[in-house]
Amino acid sequence: MTSVLEAGPRHVWRRWTRPAFRDSLWLLAPVCLLYGVLAVVPFALIVRFAVADRGEHFQTVLRSRLLMRAAANTLAISVMTTAIAIIIAYVLAAGLWRARSGFRQILLAFVLLPFWTAVLIKNFAWAALLQDNGVVNTLLQMSGMTSAPVTLLHNRFAVIIGMVHYVLPYAVFPIFSAMLAIDPNIERAARSLGAKTGSVIWFVVFPLTLPGIYGATVLVFVISIGFFVTPVILGAPSDMMIANLVKYYVHELVDFNAGSALAVLILAAVLPLIMLQQSLPREGRYGAV
Amino acid sequence: MNDPSLFQRSGRRLDVEGVWKAYGSQPFVVRDVTFVLEPGEFLTLLGPSGSGKTTILMLIAGFETLSRGKIRVDGRDIVGQPPERRNFGIVFQGYALFPHMSVLDNVAFPLRMKGVGARERARQAGEILEKVGLNGLGSRRPHELSGGQQQRVALARALVFEPDALLLDEPLGALDRKLREQLQIEIKEIQRRVGVSVLLVTHDQDEAMMMSDRIAVMADGKIMQIGSPADVYLHPATPFVAGFLGETNLMPGICCGLEGDRVVIRFRNGELGRAGIPRFGGRPVPGDAVLASIRPERIRILKPDQRADSLIEGKIVSCAFLGRHARYVIDVGNQLVAVSTTDWSETSALAPGTRVRLGWLSEDAQGLVDQHPRS
Amino acid sequence: MARSDVGQMSPNAGLGRILLFAACIPILVLLVLPSLIIVPMALTKGDLIQFPPIWISIHAFTDYLGDPAWVDSTVLSFKVSILAVAVGAVAGATAAIALHGRRFPGRNLVAGLIMSPIVVPAIVLALGDYLLLSPFQLIGNWIALAVVHAIHVTPYVFISVQTSLTVGLSTALLRSARSLGAGHFSVFRFVHWPAIRPGLLAGGILGFAVSFDDVVLSLFMQGPNTITLPVRMFTAIEYDLTPKIAASASVFIALAVIGLLVHSLGTARRTAA
Repeated sequence: MTSVLEAGPRHVWRRWTRPAFRDSLWLLAPVCLLYGVLAVVPFALIVRFAVADRGEHFQTVLRSRLLMRAAANTLAISVMTTAIAIIIAYVLAAGLWRARSGFRQILLAFVLLPFWTAVLIKNFAWAALLQDNGVVNTLLQMSGMTSAPVTLLHNRFAVIIGMVHYVLPYAVFPIFSAMLAIDPNIERAARSLGAKTGSVIWFVVFPLTLPGIYGATVLVFVISIGFFVTPVILGAPSDMMIANLVKYYVHELVDFNAGSALAVLILAAVLPLIMLQQSLPREGRYGAV
Repeated sequence: MNDPSLFQRSGRRLDVEGVWKAYGSQPFVVRDVTFVLEPGEFLTLLGPSGSGKTTILMLIAGFETLSRGKIRVDGRDIVGQPPERRNFGIVFQGYALFPHMSVLDNVAFPLRMKGVGARERARQAGEILEKVGLNGLGSRRPHELSGGQQQRVALARALVFEPDALLLDEPLGALDRKLREQLQIEIKEIQRRVGVSVLLVTHDQDEAMMMSDRIAVMADGKIMQIGSPADVYLHPATPFVAGFLGETNLMPGICCGLEGDRVVIRFRNGELGRAGIPRFGGRPVPGDAVLASIRPERIRILKPDQRADSLIEGKIVSCAFLGRHARYVIDVGNQLVAVSTTDWSETSALAPGTRVRLGWLSEDAQGLVDQHPRS
Repeated sequence: MARSDVGQMSPNAGLGRILLFAACIPILVLLVLPSLIIVPMALTKGDLIQFPPIWISIHAFTDYLGDPAWVDSTVLSFKVSILAVAVGAVAGATAAIALHGRRFPGRNLVAGLIMSPIVVPAIVLALGDYLLLSPFQLIGNWIALAVVHAIHVTPYVFISVQTSLTVGLSTALLRSARSLGAGHFSVFRFVHWPAIRPGLLAGGILGFAVSFDDVVLSLFMQGPNTITLPVRMFTAIEYDLTPKIAASASVFIALAVIGLLVHSLGTARRTAA
């Protein structure tokens, strides 16, 4: 205490700023080292491999029919997954929001269990459920809706199911956060002003959750683009997605340059989306009073 | 008080009868509350936090269900009606303005819910915004406005659809003192002009005194006293009410007898004093434990030749000059008494340690029955 | 002041709530169903994956535990993930402490960069690290694999520690400790450490799960002796769905349940405090 009181203002100023600043630099060293060596340098390597031979590899990749197929698949599957996931997530988030504290904890556990379960396991379970002699087909036949097994596995349908199942927790939380940020008195105010439940939701609750929806949409879409495991386990070879194509180039064709070129293209597509997500209005800021 | 012939009285009569409320198996937070809000009247529910006042507001608005009792508007029972069908304008704590809508859309919202067309909505909303002094701000968002402006938007929104009554839940809590006082005057002005009935909930007794036609003092879910500001201040019914509104000295003693409309009290230190029989509230009986309630501004430090109905002796402990008045604290043997006086100057101020005599007129004191006597 | 929950709006809202919860039920069933059927699937007597299982037998589990390749993979996965969490925890926690309470232009950018491994497709990272490590003969080295995994772990630890710092530590506390003459180490031990402990635990467990479950990175970094359990399962699933896979999958389920329990207990304690 005496050191601060006795010293003059300039001395205190020097004590506060310099060591603190140096400390924070020192503290950032581990993450900088880790990311620098194992993320930044590899990225540079990818770029080097990709632009070698004056961009010839980009041409190879861009002209390949495999890319057309994989890119089309990725886009279609990601869009469908995102759309379905957001709708389901909104319902879930609303349920979480309206639930009373103890019940809410239980619901949260239900939402979090798949989050903690490995993607491999989830896909494996879906494969077992959707296979020709699996639970779903057995139920369908028992209930008399079909007479023979329906092919539910190794097609786009299964891939989308698997992907929606994976991204659902990621979709629920931004929307749930946006709902929590709504001042409870706002709903009461709307009601007191003559709004029935439908109007309260349409005019007040839904618009205030929009930032959460935007955030969830971009997040889920970006995650969907990068999927690797699910298309392999639940899809057919024709459902190959862009990440599978990179592996194909690297492991099967042993063409590192083409694989790198593709990786650069993927990053070029994903980066603007990530930046978009960072710049979206956050809940609370939009609803700031 | 409002003269009914000068100002238009609008709004309907609100009857709250025998209302009780408990949450689940927890103790009652509202106990047997009964009062009437007359058309055009400004009634305040005043009490500390936890006294149940906000709960009553929520019950009237329809956001809570009654455990027991009735709420009627113009004689009609509204208990079955959901909040959206009741015709009350509410200003919540924090104002609860819709952050994603402009000020104009906020104010026009209730009209939209009633099915009013867009142009008519905008016109009416614009009109009421002018009445509250916010013309020109219609296109702003709530977060761009100051606290005082937001408050006025909330008021405009609650008034635009001509409600049966205005319910205000501690609307001025978040504002600083000068702004609060200014808005108190403005709200009162608007209320007079529009003539709407107002039910205000607050813990700030200055606010209650300033704005209300009648004040209902609440504690522990019960109404302790309802009356005009003068009634509750000058003629408190219980020691709680006396202590909650303004400052008062409560001096414990035993009632030794009644003389006309005076109570004779023997204080702890043996001296006798007199106080008025309370106009409202329980009438002491000889033998009862009583508290003599005397406001600091009604006790005088007597000059050597002055006399008074009742007097006690004591010694000055401290003196503080507070601008508008000076405040002496005097030790009368078994308690401290506060005396507030404007008779003060730097030269004539009495020093700590001086022995003085304190006197009061018995009609300025109330002999209140002590419900929780300490032995 | 006892106020009711948001949900208690008006009598009519009761019906809306029932409908809402009714709509949630099938969703919730579908969410947990896959996780719940794994262990029962492994208890089957036959050689095919069936659910519900026809006869109960634990031969799948004995198959799994008796196969040295599979056991090695399990052990390897644990080794790799523990090391990955250790490295990732250091990186994530120090970064969170460094950025805590500090406002400077570009702070959000730095935080965003630290969080990027969550959203950037893992395949890009996998390829890049493969290109980096193969000239050094480090492909197939489990330590190298663990350090690569650490990148995946770091963001989870970062955000977890950041949250617990925001809740449990104020810069005012920090300054008063410093002004009382505490040196750097003492400041860390008495001010930072108690505040980051809950976040470190939560983030560490989550990071462990993320690393343990990883397929893409491990697939690219695999060597003949460095096949993690998920990779082995992945290749096995591509060919045949046997109960042995279900048995090994039970390890993951156990992990998921433990992780969820610890996480819930942690949040419960925090809200109770």
